[in-house]
Amino acid sequence: MKNEKLRFTVVFAALAVLAIAALAAGLTVGSSELTAAEAVNGIFHGGGLEGDIMWKIRIPRAMAAMLLGGALALSGYLLQTFFHNPIAGPFVLGISSGAKLVVALTMIAAARTVGRLGSISLILAAFAGAMLSLCMILPVSQRVSSGAMLVVCGVMTGYICSAVTDLAVTFADDADIVNLRDWSMGTFSGMKTESLGVIAAVTLGGGLCTFLLSKPLGAYRLGEDFAAGVGVRVKLLRAAIILLSGLLSACVTAFAGPISFVGIAAPHIVGVLLGTSKPIALIPACFLCGGIFCSFCDIAARTVFAPTELSISSVTAVFGAPVVIAVMLRKRRGEP
Amino acid sequence: MNAVISAEGLTAGYGGPVMRNLTFSVKSGEILVLIGPNGGGKSTLLKTLAGELKSLGGKVLLCGEDIGRLSPNARAKRLSVLLTNPLRPGMMTCREVVETGRHPYTGPFGRLTATDRKAVDRAVALTGVGDYIERDFSAVSDGQRQRVLLARAICQEPDALLLDEPTSYLDIRHKVLFLETLRSLAHENGLAVALSMHEPELAAKIADHVLCVREGKIFRAGRPEDIFREEVLRKLYDIPEELYNKYFIQERN
Repeated sequence: MKNEKLRFTVVFAALAVLAIAALAAGLTVGSSELTAAEAVNGIFHGGGLEGDIMWKIRIPRAMAAMLLGGALALSGYLLQTFFHNPIAGPFVLGISSGAKLVVALTMIAAARTVGRLGSISLILAAFAGAMLSLCMILPVSQRVSSGAMLVVCGVMTGYICSAVTDLAVTFADDADIVNLRDWSMGTFSGMKTESLGVIAAVTLGGGLCTFLLSKPLGAYRLGEDFAAGVGVRVKLLRAAIILLSGLLSACVTAFAGPISFVGIAAPHIVGVLLGTSKPIALIPACFLCGGIFCSFCDIAARTVFAPTELSISSVTAVFGAPVVIAVMLRKRRGEP
Repeated sequence: MNAVISAEGLTAGYGGPVMRNLTFSVKSGEILVLIGPNGGGKSTLLKTLAGELKSLGGKVLLCGEDIGRLSPNARAKRLSVLLTNPLRPGMMTCREVVETGRHPYTGPFGRLTATDRKAVDRAVALTGVGDYIERDFSAVSDGQRQRVLLARAICQEPDALLLDEPTSYLDIRHKVLFLETLRSLAHENGLAVALSMHEPELAAKIADHVLCVREGKIFRAGRPEDIFREEVLRKLYDIPEELYNKYFIQERN
């Protein structure tokens, strides 16, 4: 018990330091060369070029990467718990792609009629898409017993949605949809200050709700029947998991497009660090880890080949996919 | 003594076998054993008694109250079930598994109070799982895992315990240890216990009452000395006489 407490303290302290470092790096690294002093000056005194760069570009981007990364990680954690499948996540199950499809179609339709969409409508469209994919994957999950089959079906769903999205984007008028192409590949670039409020509300609210489910989720780890036996309202819990994971991944997709592997990798990384699967410790750690992971990946995406920006997914895949492979190898060796 | 679990005119089933109009009860301190061939309806009956499966007719009463009307928490405080093998999630210690038994008693975040810890310690002592309680649940043997699950069921502090073939895949030593714990729980701590088993020779040793379930019906019910007899068992399990004699009757000198 003592050891566990010490370990939790150390891990959480390390995550907090890394999160601050990731935010600081996100604020000081970028295409326009600002010194740290200019950056700090820009934040606190506003105005001028520095103020604009900080408040209109870098702060929204760094904050969004942190919050949306955390949301993705939690969404992945919830899906892994729900399907009792260690390699489930919003991207591999086609949920991000479903959200992307409906958002793209809504944006194209809106561009021709009402013009630009607000943040809330974007999230709602993405949520509808996420639920659409989940509706396709849920019946499959009841029919296939193997976790690998579930993931294959999810990946297929994802491909179908992506194909339709690509088609729509290709034939849409370029003037209709500024940045739609970039967005459909996944990016934090062009994040707007106005969106930050909605992003913070949804991700932190969703995160808090997830945290409040810690207790039933702890029993649910052992399976539905087991949880029911100790008094968990299983149907209610399952509905809550699906709605929350859908909402969290929808928020990410609405603002940053589909982002791969963070959702799968982050829960496993913190699991190994903490040495437990206790939800009450895992959930906050997961959020921090996803945020840190995404922030550093975003920094890499905009600096490695600067001035060309990489899509965020290509970077998260490079660092996230090995984690997934490690998880599968461990599973094969018969370890948890 | 009063009946802890009772079925009143119960009709149970889903898909497969349907049992009609069953009436029986398990009293405090009693062990009821369900025997019968696979697919005969033992699990269906246990699930219905546990309230996991809705009864199709009649009632299941838990301490006199309709089990369908109890909230999940209220039910879990009176009844522990060990029906299916749970998953084996990684990175969860045996102690954590036992602690989930306190779920119906703890607050919204599941924090254990001194009372909860005491109940856990007592359950650990009763089942003798102390040696491996800090090990990972997925890393212990089948027999150890089953005892951990029993400890979890006990620390729920129920009045009744339902178990579906808890000894089936255990080695002889663990079978006997497990049954001995069940016996002391019933006979010394006053729990009402209902379990299904596939080992008539062991069932005969611990049962106070026996229910033979076959093809969705109660084939025979009674005291163990009336049930564990050649003619009943041979008919119940459909075993030809020569095979029964070969495997179950010891040569008499």
